[in-house]
Amino acid sequence: MPAYNTIAFRPELCNGCGDCMRSCASVKTGSADPANSRIQIAADDGSYALALCRQCADPKCVASCPAAALDKHGDDGVIAWDGSKCVNCLLCTVGCAYGGIVYNAAERHVVKCDTCDGDPACVKVCDTGALRYITTARIYNEVGDLEDLFAPGLSGCQGCNTELVMRHTLRRIGPDTVLATPPGCIPGMGAVGYNGLTGTKVPVFHPLLTNTASMLTGIKRQYRRLGREVNAVALAGDGGAADVGFQSLSGAAERGEQILFICVDNEGYMNTGMQRSSCTPFGAWTSTTPVGERGRGKTQDAKNLPVLMMMHNCEYVATASTGFMEDLYAKLDRAIDASKRGFAYLHIYSPCTTGWRFPSQDNMEVARKAVESNFVLLWEFAPGEGLRLSRDPGRPVAITEYLRVLGKFRHLADEDVRHIQGTVNRNLRFIEGLAGGQHPAMASLAADRADQAGTQR
Amino acid sequence: MNAVVKPRPRAIVCDGNEAAAWAVTLAHVDMVAVYPITPQSSLVEYLAKFVADGRLNAEIVDVEGEHSVLSVLHGGALAGARTYTGTCGPGLAFMFEPYLRTPGLRLPIVMSIVTRDTLTPQSVWGGHQDAMSVRETGWIQLYCESVQEVLDTTIMAYRIAEHRGVMLPVNVCHDGNYLSYGATRVELPEPADVDAFLPPPAVHWHAALDPERPMGVDPLTGGAGGPGPAMFVRYRKGHCAAMQHALGIIAEVHEDWARLIGRRHAALVEAYRMEDAESALVTIGSMSGAAKDAVDQARARGERVGLVRVKTYRPFPVAALIEALGDASRIGVVDRSVSFGWNCGPLYQDVIAALHSARRRPATQSFIGGLAGADLTTDHFGRVIELVGALPDDSGLGAVIWLNEQDR
Repeated sequence: MPAYNTIAFRPELCNGCGDCMRSCASVKTGSADPANSRIQIAADDGSYALALCRQCADPKCVASCPAAALDKHGDDGVIAWDGSKCVNCLLCTVGCAYGGIVYNAAERHVVKCDTCDGDPACVKVCDTGALRYITTARIYNEVGDLEDLFAPGLSGCQGCNTELVMRHTLRRIGPDTVLATPPGCIPGMGAVGYNGLTGTKVPVFHPLLTNTASMLTGIKRQYRRLGREVNAVALAGDGGAADVGFQSLSGAAERGEQILFICVDNEGYMNTGMQRSSCTPFGAWTSTTPVGERGRGKTQDAKNLPVLMMMHNCEYVATASTGFMEDLYAKLDRAIDASKRGFAYLHIYSPCTTGWRFPSQDNMEVARKAVESNFVLLWEFAPGEGLRLSRDPGRPVAITEYLRVLGKFRHLADEDVRHIQGTVNRNLRFIEGLAGGQHPAMASLAADRADQAGTQR
Repeated sequence: MNAVVKPRPRAIVCDGNEAAAWAVTLAHVDMVAVYPITPQSSLVEYLAKFVADGRLNAEIVDVEGEHSVLSVLHGGALAGARTYTGTCGPGLAFMFEPYLRTPGLRLPIVMSIVTRDTLTPQSVWGGHQDAMSVRETGWIQLYCESVQEVLDTTIMAYRIAEHRGVMLPVNVCHDGNYLSYGATRVELPEPADVDAFLPPPAVHWHAALDPERPMGVDPLTGGAGGPGPAMFVRYRKGHCAAMQHALGIIAEVHEDWARLIGRRHAALVEAYRMEDAESALVTIGSMSGAAKDAVDQARARGERVGLVRVKTYRPFPVAALIEALGDASRIGVVDRSVSFGWNCGPLYQDVIAALHSARRRPATQSFIGGLAGADLTTDHFGRVIELVGALPDDSGLGAVIWLNEQDR
């Protein structure tokens, strides 16, 4: 399937200003009357709803047109209306479920969005970012033909986000890879395999929970010695990265080993029965921080592992979420590239339907809510560039929108929620400070690297 | 007559730690991982210097602890590298997790244990307690008596470890303080001779991580159903068979060393003046030198005393030991470590088990000495010989005699 551009709408960012409608109407009819706009925004129960042609892949308007006046163009995907053929029967308006093609009384025929030949006027005037002109299926088109390097039928839980992470990342990294998956969900679902069978199409092994980065060091160094380009990649859980595996991780990062270390953070030891790790957030129920008469879940905040890794002078550090795949892929590409020069660390948040106690079909929703509430911040760091927030944390949804979906937070009292909100706020201020170069550590880090770069030249 | 004169070997004066570094250099090791710990530190310093000087063309990985030392070598070995490291005492304890795993992966890693007593009492001095504590983990253990033997054995260890019928990691144990820092004259083998003795490393395809030949290394194995139980037993049995097979290979490799390099070391056990011996000492490691002097003195007095030094400790050379002990009817075993469970030395435990398997019941006595750097002198061994000579016929597992108990 080819990739087409389309206008996307994020209602949570819309403030109902109406600029898009006025802009569209002006461009299409010369009058700024919103009634003439091809895009319509309407207040809808405290939020805003969109009526606009989606340039559907399987357009009902086209199918219902008896006069062949509507046609989906193969080159740009736009559904075009031909006035010379239209018989004004209006069947198309009945066929469309999005209000994307409507009768305009002033023009006396149906009108619809034509994306202004790829430069939509409405998007240009949208200051809040609610309207974006994006490529649909970009990821699919880029990686759809790449081989999935895990075998089908891995035994992850239904709706497992980690399996999604595994398949996407390894597919992109490619077959010239040695993959380490320390004990946890990833080998537990059969990535390394059972009794002589394997679940991965690249060389794969169980390191110990403690020594992933060290074993990869040996592998990478030997292949470099042999003059061979081989990616040394870890897909590790948060326990194997932040807790018992942290020493070897820290050592390899400090030495600048050319490794791509991906931490799939599901906030605990989910494979062994959902025990607490240092990445488990405050208040969370786990099987070792149970809730009872005196137990209220974990009593400490999570360790901020990606920030710790940033301070190791890594070549690249980023956080990512499967709720924001374009961002994840962009970071993955940078991380793969950086790992050819030094240590690259990617921290991917991975909601766990089993351990966090939410219905498996809500996985993407949970991943998105975590980010949209700023519980998880998406950022990236590269030496010389410093830290950059890759998603605007402004106008977050309420933290309770995120917490209330998860069974592991079901017991929280108001004061616990306030604590979590406080942690989220503090973390945001800290990261924003780093992003603005305001933090002294960040300023000096960037300056040091700039000096070094200058010296090397 | 052939007029070709073999050049005199190059002799240097060095200690055991430097000798090990020379061996690593001559063996063309690809990868060395280092972390310093007393009394091994100078060994890794020599290696770092040899690399810095361009003498040793190896990838040197300075890691943040012994756990990573061995883990890096696991990775290197799985990518086909010939690897080396050394450690001791608390360092060995810290690397225990990857250490345990090494023989099961059948990785032919060579690692020196510059032996050191274990904590606690807090101690930084020599003793075999560290190496003895890991005697049942499936590594091959070779104990050296002299600095020359450290050098030669460390090179030989690669031939043993990489032999297709063995494929097991080897610990070359040399005594902390006494061999690590004791400098003697050492002959360096000619590099060309070593090259003829030791072929370049091959990729070990039973477990390798190479994108050109993908495999899953160490999938979960075992459990109570399916092919797991039988498969797990097969791995364990194969490991045991390789250990037993190693006895022959160790002997063969020592023979080749004697033929190609011109220096002969006892491979499994060394029998010293055991002809017609009625009393025998069994020793291990550097203490054997002083013990041999004491045997010489006793022989000079006309006593029928000999000595058997155990060089290959794991696998335990039962047959070779029994043969070396001959008809000795009184046997004193001197350990530099303690078996807490049996109230004797661990070597003593092995010796009486071997005697039992041969249906022999000589009088035996366990001696423990040289703990935490204590010296074992000719005088100590003179006393051992005296006590062994006076052993009642039914002596066996009983009160241990602690040799340094009365030292002042």
